[in-house]
Amino acid sequence: MTLQQTSAPAIPRSGRRHDRQRFWQEVAMIAPAVLLLATFLITPFLLSFWTAMTNQPLVPRPTPVRFVGLLNFQRVFTDPLFWTSLWNVTRFTVWVLPVQCGLAFLTALLLHQKLPMRNLLRGMFFLPAITSMVVVCVIWGTLFQYPSGPLNQIVGFLSAGAIQPIDWLGDPNWAMFSIVLLSAWQAYGFQMIIYLAGLQGIPEELYDAARIDGASALRRFWHVTMPGLRPTHVFVLVITTIQAFKLYTQVAILTQGGPKESTETVVHYMVRAGFEEQKLGYASAVSVILFVIVLLIALLQRKLLRRFDV
Amino acid sequence: MSDLVLSQPAPLAISRGNSKTGLRIVQTVCIFIIALVMISPLFMLLIASLKDDRFRILADMGSFRAFWVNDPTLSNYREIANFSGELAYGRYLFNSLVILVVTVVSGLIINSMAGFVLAWGSLRGKAILLALVVALYVIPQESIIMPLVVMMSRAGLTDTFAVQILPWVASPLYVFLFYQFFAQLPKELYEAAEMDGASIFRIYRSIYMPLSLPALATVSILMGIESWNQYLWPTLVTQTDYARPIAVAIATFFGQDSIYWDRAMAASVLMMIPVLILYLAFQRWFVSSFVGSAVKG
Repeated sequence: MTLQQTSAPAIPRSGRRHDRQRFWQEVAMIAPAVLLLATFLITPFLLSFWTAMTNQPLVPRPTPVRFVGLLNFQRVFTDPLFWTSLWNVTRFTVWVLPVQCGLAFLTALLLHQKLPMRNLLRGMFFLPAITSMVVVCVIWGTLFQYPSGPLNQIVGFLSAGAIQPIDWLGDPNWAMFSIVLLSAWQAYGFQMIIYLAGLQGIPEELYDAARIDGASALRRFWHVTMPGLRPTHVFVLVITTIQAFKLYTQVAILTQGGPKESTETVVHYMVRAGFEEQKLGYASAVSVILFVIVLLIALLQRKLLRRFDV
Repeated sequence: MSDLVLSQPAPLAISRGNSKTGLRIVQTVCIFIIALVMISPLFMLLIASLKDDRFRILADMGSFRAFWVNDPTLSNYREIANFSGELAYGRYLFNSLVILVVTVVSGLIINSMAGFVLAWGSLRGKAILLALVVALYVIPQESIIMPLVVMMSRAGLTDTFAVQILPWVASPLYVFLFYQFFAQLPKELYEAAEMDGASIFRIYRSIYMPLSLPALATVSILMGIESWNQYLWPTLVTQTDYARPIAVAIATFFGQDSIYWDRAMAASVLMMIPVLILYLAFQRWFVSSFVGSAVKG
């Protein structure tokens, strides 16, 4: 930029041509992304607000689409099943957060050491994260077999037969917990990578200083590692929460929201309304609500991060 | 740069004083055992896929036989690896691969170009565009999917490859990741090249791209996994075999009265191979610090 300013007066015409050329080159480079985002993200996003206020069906009908105002939202909020689904994802989130983030944090601590074959170990721990949720459902579908699947065998063995076989996916009291187990197992790898990054970001000098001051390993962990990871903790908790609220695939494949609606989730509810009942306007209202939830969580993250002065 | 980070001894979080090699070995063995336990379900999957009898698979599951196969056979794979008919998993795998490769390659080019202009371009309104990208990142895929399905079916794109690729090529997250990566490279690099009369596209292609292997690898892995694992979207926009990806096909096993676990497991193993290769190919550059610093913003 400084170059242009100094050279512009000397050769004004070619300089201007250069500027124009550069302008168009930049536009050409950014245009594909802008056009794609405008078409496939911004347009449907804005459309969802409009569709949510109409009675549009999924398949076009001869009858004209009517503007119905906030009627869809009113219907969503008075449907007990919607509240059940919201309660279920909240329950799921509360359970999956400690399991998934705890697993990620512990494995990251294990890997963040001078170890032989560190990359291999990291790859092994990351393996579930690259496994497709559909494949995870195949695996855990067999592990959860009732009454004599592997998990029931293990539970029976550990309790010396005291605990009766559990119908993991068929018992309304257990179904969501089972979904929590397989979800945490599948997804912890990503959070582990983020924790590893956070651990790498803590300056080694802090540990040296603490060591010189005679701090024990436990105290170093508590007074150096934990404060250094504060922004990482916030970030991990927030993305895990957002991810949890979007729970869909495993439920759609393994339980279809059952038994007795104990695993019905907001996204599953939305897809059912939109594609089984063909009520596009209604489903769009649910998608707007989902967006608001995610937005609130993201805003909370920003607020928390600012408090920690990051 | 990344190789440097990885080859350096990692700063220790908890224990540093353990210079005794004996303790180090015990520690490593323990971590290996934990890792093996974590991935044991995947190992079970592989073993089970080599067993012929689907009822024996379930019976074996509860014991140590789940980790052992006496007479391994590829018959399950042979049953499903067709390119037409009911069990056309060869075709589904191929479909998914086409979608993955096109999405990742075009995504790398398009997102990195946009990120580069945002980092080093002189467009007016650049700051606004950047803020917009960050804001768009908040919108979850799930909340645009309803209108998007209608848009796509009106455009006649249902049941095509395009419908599974186009919407997910440009992504605010990856534009931002590239922007952050380019912006942290030294300014002198850009100024020197500009002084030599290189155009911004040349600077991007010949100077910055070769330097951005860590970013390219990270985005490849993230985009690849994302594309490979898409489930909700393709169930909504594919109806026939023509462009059906393998994830959707495997899920249909669950719709049957009696699940053919043997075939489902063979298909699952097939599905794991490409992403595993992708990860192994790029993991050297999959620098965790890059992901970490980028997502904090």
